[in-house]
Amino acid sequence: MILEVNNLQKIYGGKTVVNIENIQIQQGETIGLVGNNGAGKTTFFRMLLDLIRPSQGTILSKGENVMQSDAWKNYTASFLDEGFLIDYLTPEEYFTFIGSLHDLSIADVKAYLAKYADFFNGEILNSGKYIRDFSKGNQNKIGIAAALMQDPEFLVLDEPFANLDPTTQIRLKTLIKTLKTERTMTTLISSHDLNHVTDVCDRIILLEKGIVIKDFHTDENTLKELEAYFSE
Amino acid sequence: MLKTFLSHQQKSFWRSRNKGGSIAAQVVLGFFMLYFLAIALAIGFGMASFLPKIFKDQDAITSFNGLILYYFAFDFLMRMQLQELPTLSIIPYLHLKVPKRKIIQFLNAKAMFSAFNLWPFFIFLPFCFIHILSAYGGLTTLMYIVAILSIMVFNNYLVLYIKRKSISNIIYTVIGLGVLAAFAALEYYKVISIMKASDAIFGSIAAQPYLGLIFTAAAFGIFTINSTYLRKNLYVEELSTAQEKKVSTDYAFLNRFGKVGVLAALELKLILRHKRSRSTAMLGFLFLLYGFIFYKEKAIAGNEFGKMMFGAIFMTGIFIITYGQFLFAWQSTHFDGLLSNKINFKDFIKAKFLLFTIACTLVTILASFYGFLSPKLLLLHVATYLYNVGFGIVVVLYLGTMNYKRLDITKSASFNYQGMGATQWILVLPYALTPILIYLPFGALNMPYVGLMVLSAFGLIMLLMRGFWVNYITKRFEQQRYKMSEGYRE
Repeated sequence: MILEVNNLQKIYGGKTVVNIENIQIQQGETIGLVGNNGAGKTTFFRMLLDLIRPSQGTILSKGENVMQSDAWKNYTASFLDEGFLIDYLTPEEYFTFIGSLHDLSIADVKAYLAKYADFFNGEILNSGKYIRDFSKGNQNKIGIAAALMQDPEFLVLDEPFANLDPTTQIRLKTLIKTLKTERTMTTLISSHDLNHVTDVCDRIILLEKGIVIKDFHTDENTLKELEAYFSE
Repeated sequence: MLKTFLSHQQKSFWRSRNKGGSIAAQVVLGFFMLYFLAIALAIGFGMASFLPKIFKDQDAITSFNGLILYYFAFDFLMRMQLQELPTLSIIPYLHLKVPKRKIIQFLNAKAMFSAFNLWPFFIFLPFCFIHILSAYGGLTTLMYIVAILSIMVFNNYLVLYIKRKSISNIIYTVIGLGVLAAFAALEYYKVISIMKASDAIFGSIAAQPYLGLIFTAAAFGIFTINSTYLRKNLYVEELSTAQEKKVSTDYAFLNRFGKVGVLAALELKLILRHKRSRSTAMLGFLFLLYGFIFYKEKAIAGNEFGKMMFGAIFMTGIFIITYGQFLFAWQSTHFDGLLSNKINFKDFIKAKFLLFTIACTLVTILASFYGFLSPKLLLLHVATYLYNVGFGIVVVLYLGTMNYKRLDITKSASFNYQGMGATQWILVLPYALTPILIYLPFGALNMPYVGLMVLSAFGLIMLLMRGFWVNYITKRFEQQRYKMSEGYRE
């Protein structure tokens, strides 16, 4: 089991934003987190990454509380929003920096980036721009690529499909699927796009006002079920 | 239309997020403005009496005439540095049914709302009314005022024009200041004289009042050039400064420090690539002149280090104080990324120590030219350097962990109070008072050198305890990080 959430609560000014009794995630699962705005998806992600202190409860990554030990950082890579990018660096500098944190040499980083030339579509590298000067879609790409470069066992992405062009959306989906089989990567993504989520994930968790409403494995009826839920 | 624009501007000022949160900072800023205006007014009224004292062999009006061009040369350079282009605010109107002419009118009108356009009124007009009026009569006085205000308007639009053509650069300002200083030196050694030139120009206005209109014509000319340029280039991407190609850089000298060096290099890039941090760092070099205010001959001769200590601490520790006061908030935009990545907090804190130590050492070496004034000052600098590096950094980092305000570092630093909080205000007190309090008893017992030695020893002991302080600050950082990242996200 790579992740276990127990009795997790976050309260802001008397309002409970997240209230999750129990979630268990096994190695190699691809999980989609869906829910309308204000369902607590991002807050949950932030607690997962130890960016917000939970009001109550624990999050165990490989059995260790994320608040007490930094060990999870060795195998967890994430991209939630532009706040994760160091926007005054060029993309090359950023990749090198992230690489150096995982003891990758500049040559390693280059080799990795060469593999993703398709994904970047020739717009990211050698562009002579700082990250802050890129469009939001391309910033997203940089963040996702940097997360994947860390060769994570556990990948956390918040709305990865938003702002991406259709080609890249499809490429990202294929990438997640291959990495899942190749090195049993566990992925946790949130999305508003039900099509993509049902396509790429094998398990869906539906949040509403911070509470887990549904938690099920996907089959051919999943998309219809979800559409029915959200059109109510 | 113009009225609508201005009312929108007013709303954007009062409703902007930062303003509401930091009214205290606004009040302080207001006091600063009042203070400067009071000084300007004092200069304006005082000029009549102190000009003859400074320039003994000429009458007040000649000196006054001579100073006008100097003032505006300086004014020009300051504007180059500080005056902001009023552009971004027009973006929402460009696609609407608003004639371009109106937008340009608005930009031009808005450009006049600058403190630079206020000071000449206070500095020059009193003298005009007191002296020129009685010496030359009404018409000449009027033309003097017209000429002075015309130069002001000329400077105003010339600077905007230059900035729009994006040929402005901080280097040019530094060069400009150098040129100005060179002229002042040449003036001093009586080689050539701007003062004479300035006097000749304004003397001729006194003789032929209507000559003042030449300045009005020049001001009108640059105004027209500016408007025409705007009319032709009213596109957002062309109005803002040109994009140059960015290249990746690597600071080899930091590589030897391993991961700590990588983090320090990251922060160094942050400093060099943002307007606010860059101007903060530049300010540090300007403060190298601070010593000339504090290091008085009498104080040096009498070994009164206590009196000079404030200056010395400020000068050698300027980077620690100015950059450190906003600490951790500099990285507020990507703080989440730093926390969730595989970065050891201890390395993160160590990187700050490293960066501050390098900067402080550099500034202290640069400040050693005061040794020409008196070698004693070098001892003072060494003592304050050890204090800054040993203890000052700790103070700044500790207070930094209590700073929860997001900082917008893309704007210029001058008169920018965004991100100011209680931390910034109380920082200077413990920082500057501690060493003075340490020195004071020895100074009072007339043992100045012992005092410096004790201060140095204090700094040195703290420096040797760095390992302890790194652990202490790291611990504190770990406790505070949720609160900090929450504040930075807003």
